[in-house]
Amino acid sequence: MASEKTMTRTIRLRVNGKEHSLEVPSRRLLVDCLRYDLGLTGTKEGCSVGVCGACTVLMDGQPISSCLALAVFADGKEIVTVEGIAREGKLDRVQQSFIDHGGFQCGSCTPGMVVTARALLDANPNPSQDEIKEWMLGNLCRCTGYYQIIESIQGAAGEASDA
Amino acid sequence: MHNFEYREPDTLEEVLALLGELGEEAKIVAGGTALVIMLNQRLLVPSHLISLRKLRDIDQIESSDGTLQLGALATLRAVETSPLVKEQSPVLAETYAQVATLRLRNMATVGGSLAHADPNQDPPVTLMALDARVGLASANGSREVALDEFFIDYYETVVRPDELVTRVMVPRAAPHTGSAYLKFLPRTSEDYATVGVAARVSLEPDSGVCQDCRLVLGGVGATPLRARDAEDLLKGQKSTPELLEAVGAAARQLTDPVGDSRGSAQYKRAMTGVFVGRAIDQAWERALA
Amino acid sequence: MTYTVVGKPLGQVEGPAKVTGAATFTADVILPEMIWGKVLRSPLPHARIVSIDTKAAEQMPGVLAVLTARDLPDTLTGRVVYDTPVLARDQVRFIGEKVAVVAAEDPDVAEDALALIEVEYQELPAVFDAEEAMNPDAPLLHPDYRSYPHAPEKFFSELPNVHSHVTWQVGDIQEGFAQAQQVFEYTFTTHSQHQGFIEPHASVVSVDSEGRAHLWISNKMPVRAQKLLADAVELPQEQVVVHPVCIGGDFGGKGSLMDAPLCYHLSKRTGRPVKMVMTYTEELMAGNPRHPATISLRTGVTDQGKVVAFQARVVFDSGAYAGFKPVPIVNIPGANSAAGVYGTPHVKIDAYSVYTNCVPSGHVRAPGDPQVTFAVESSMELIAEAMGIDPLEFRKRNLVQDGDLLPDGHRLEHVRIRQTLEAAIESSNWGKPKAHPHVGRGVAASYRHIGAGEANAEIRLESDGTVKVITPVPDTGTGAHTVLQQVVAETWPLPVEQVQVEARPELFETDSGAGASRVTYVVGQLVKEMTEELRASVCRVAATALECQAEEVVFEDGHYTVKGSSDRTLTLAQVAEAGSGKPELSIRKTQVNRDNPQVTTFTAQVVELEVDPETGQIKILEVVTSHDVGTIINPIGHRGQIDGGLIQGIGFGMIEEVVMEEGQVSTLHLGDYKLPNIKDIPPLKTVLVQEEIGPAPFQSKAIGESSITPIAAAIANAVYDAVGVRFYNLPITAEKVYRALRERDSNGE
Repeated sequence: MASEKTMTRTIRLRVNGKEHSLEVPSRRLLVDCLRYDLGLTGTKEGCSVGVCGACTVLMDGQPISSCLALAVFADGKEIVTVEGIAREGKLDRVQQSFIDHGGFQCGSCTPGMVVTARALLDANPNPSQDEIKEWMLGNLCRCTGYYQIIESIQGAAGEASDA
Repeated sequence: MHNFEYREPDTLEEVLALLGELGEEAKIVAGGTALVIMLNQRLLVPSHLISLRKLRDIDQIESSDGTLQLGALATLRAVETSPLVKEQSPVLAETYAQVATLRLRNMATVGGSLAHADPNQDPPVTLMALDARVGLASANGSREVALDEFFIDYYETVVRPDELVTRVMVPRAAPHTGSAYLKFLPRTSEDYATVGVAARVSLEPDSGVCQDCRLVLGGVGATPLRARDAEDLLKGQKSTPELLEAVGAAARQLTDPVGDSRGSAQYKRAMTGVFVGRAIDQAWERALA
Repeated sequence: MTYTVVGKPLGQVEGPAKVTGAATFTADVILPEMIWGKVLRSPLPHARIVSIDTKAAEQMPGVLAVLTARDLPDTLTGRVVYDTPVLARDQVRFIGEKVAVVAAEDPDVAEDALALIEVEYQELPAVFDAEEAMNPDAPLLHPDYRSYPHAPEKFFSELPNVHSHVTWQVGDIQEGFAQAQQVFEYTFTTHSQHQGFIEPHASVVSVDSEGRAHLWISNKMPVRAQKLLADAVELPQEQVVVHPVCIGGDFGGKGSLMDAPLCYHLSKRTGRPVKMVMTYTEELMAGNPRHPATISLRTGVTDQGKVVAFQARVVFDSGAYAGFKPVPIVNIPGANSAAGVYGTPHVKIDAYSVYTNCVPSGHVRAPGDPQVTFAVESSMELIAEAMGIDPLEFRKRNLVQDGDLLPDGHRLEHVRIRQTLEAAIESSNWGKPKAHPHVGRGVAASYRHIGAGEANAEIRLESDGTVKVITPVPDTGTGAHTVLQQVVAETWPLPVEQVQVEARPELFETDSGAGASRVTYVVGQLVKEMTEELRASVCRVAATALECQAEEVVFEDGHYTVKGSSDRTLTLAQVAEAGSGKPELSIRKTQVNRDNPQVTTFTAQVVELEVDPETGQIKILEVVTSHDVGTIINPIGHRGQIDGGLIQGIGFGMIEEVVMEEGQVSTLHLGDYKLPNIKDIPPLKTVLVQEEIGPAPFQSKAIGESSITPIAAAIANAVYDAVGVRFYNLPITAEKVYRALRERDSNGE
């Protein structure tokens, strides 16, 4: 083990709409690749076992745990991180609603919350409270007790205006 | 994580050839949810990972002659949301929907969750109750194994080092059959089950007695456990609280749980009895519907 | 009072950065040439280190340094008492103690190298129970304790392994018991709870060419961290530069150095910046979880149901080190509320903090309070039942009142426990018929003083006309910076957008940092006064520019004008320009607030729940949380404290436990140590019993530690009401309820 050269592979992926081609060690986790190879530190690592949801990113539109994915899994995939949610400097409705409704305090679960909530509203623009809970089940927050997170998502749902 | 070589063949044939060549030195990876944790914690140190992620066409969910066919690479989420599965086997869709969290279900696959053989998982329990069969392939040919015969021990199955799980077949249920999967979650709602119980009950329409039944217990032994003695007690009988008590007691006998943060061995055994009764009740009710 | 900015539901000033991923937490700090450190931990609870062989690890490609205690100065560290080695020297005292550290080009290589380090241990007898550790024959963990820096002499004890014995008392306990006709004794035990923050501890240190250590650290008291690091690595304090970062959840746990000294030594050795991020497994095996406690209560009551004497003996399991305790008593301050919300005239509370070979404990939100409140609020019910008095009535007979003296020395004013308790009861289904059998309701109450400490701030008028507050207090998520912004904007008054708050810990030399709901109080009060002072200075500068007397200047709609004349107006930016370089437009102050004010804060909670008698599973049907509040400065943040604390308290009461057996933690990841998730939260009714009286700015009160405290006791009391079994220990899991029910049934009841 000690003497072996680290094995690498070249992967091509799109992250937040931008193409990347990079050589990564086979053992590189996607979360580390995003944070340290691409500098996208918005995605956080909390539990490292797929439970807390801080590392959630969208892979081909679906929320996944980037701590449970090898970077090589992302070859040929489209990844969206929290940095890719706002468009042209304007906050997405979900982001603004999390601010307005107190959907976070410390902010370490927030990137995962925001991308997961965005995917929910893309799939189901008017989720019921139970649907919100079912979808967001895997995103832990220790600060808010979740009540204001539910309200944040409800606030961003449906046809409500951006204000 | 240790250093390993990652291979990502484009075809099933190449995967099987590589598996034949590398055998036990390699680990197959599909969704990766279980494997990556084990690699990260260095519980496994394979020299190679053979990825199925570039394979096409083994993620299909189909039905032929009433048999539901789940491709090994179908994600748990795909099964959970499949209209075909919901229609033909609602209990299966319900079971997959109860696995962990949305993220995990978006990643984990049907084949991976069987091959991983963690006895705390939900789908194998229901699949076994539904009398499912597993399709295996190697460079030398393919075979089918009843799920009843599939699991050997913790994280151990009949799958040979050169074999790959390619699909799962779930037969059509007989008329007047109902099934249920109950997952006991006394702590948080995305935990592993303290006990998981799946029951399939077929009734004789005229007499209303149980004609056939399959009862499977999860999380209380080295593998999902088929409670045959308990099943026998139910066959030919009508459900009564006393009978369910006896069936539960028979099922309890079979268990050999490990105590952990989800409950002591004694508690898991006791809860098996309770949830066997509740699962039969629900399956019975559905059989009548 | 009517306010323009205070009371407005403003989103956090850090909001845009946090929702876009731009906010920088410690683990997000990436420096050129940065390398990674990883530690090797002890697998044994108590052992002598015979030898450590690091040769193979050192020779591994990609490894830049391997250090053991022999490579480090012989220092000890801690938040108050310095009792914790940076790396174990000769001896390990708990499973998870750091023994060696590796720096490598990437974390995987560092992990690879750890596997090559060989340590030979010689096992020593260990003690895992705090009560046993106090026995004369127990192994002594720290024979040199009394010589440790900052060991609190006043609280030394003759008992083995007791590193702090604190007594709080009021009245005369003997006299109290002499007045009592009935005496009740109960013992309760509570468990270890992790803070559960989502961001594990992280540190980055870069030693520059002048030998200065640049520090980024998940620490809510960065100025204190600067001093602690300086002491730990033997540097002058000014040689440590702390850089501001967001803190990913604190809940009391983020006030220590954790791996920062190791990062320093590795950086010094390698000449590269070093990052260390704890894994959650490391957090659970060697973080600083809540102190397990054994609480023995002796209560003397008159035949009329008046509590006249209350004695508590509280034994806290400190674990192997006391260094995580941040208060000078090196004990757990919440123990002083063991007598609860009652005005008992004779009280004596003894708190013992005891070394064991377990994970060192630290502060968790309301340290000590949920433990002792579970005990006292359960005991009040037990006593009421034994005396045939309704438990609520029994409580009401004994509630603390204006003028009562508490064992901690506070003589209370504006006591509002009765209103708070009654509001909780009235808003709940208390007394109403129950929908199902096995439904129960329970109530519990608590109080907590607002925290004191030292505040520092700088406030200045910027050239663009904004007023900037510079504080050493970092953002831990509580919205403290937003509150300070509101305080300044309201005081001036200015639009909030014209006030900026920035954390710059490196500009200050001392500070108490965040914690104990102190920021709004001590920092808020100071900033409010400084705002008034700056405003006066600005007014004088405006007067000079407007060529009039300061008294003639008016500030309206963002402009300074001469009273009665609107010819000439000055914006704040213009005043700033006019006063450019004037020292009075930039003020810096320190204020120490040691005394807790006489107004405290009460909480009362009612839980309604249903027990499944076949499984023991508890389903909470409703929680009513009632709070005694003053002016609410920011309703979003205020509510967030209530909601979040409550769910954390429910976790403490029935879900979470760092399970330890013989010092070995078995709940080693968040799949085993479960935190409540979004589907686990109960229907919640929050009642705010408001009166504009409070110690903090604009008559506001503390809220951060309120809702976490009574809930476990309320759950215990509700379970008793539902199925008739009483719990003397936490957490109340389904399995415990199930066992208790079986036991009761088998006893033929």
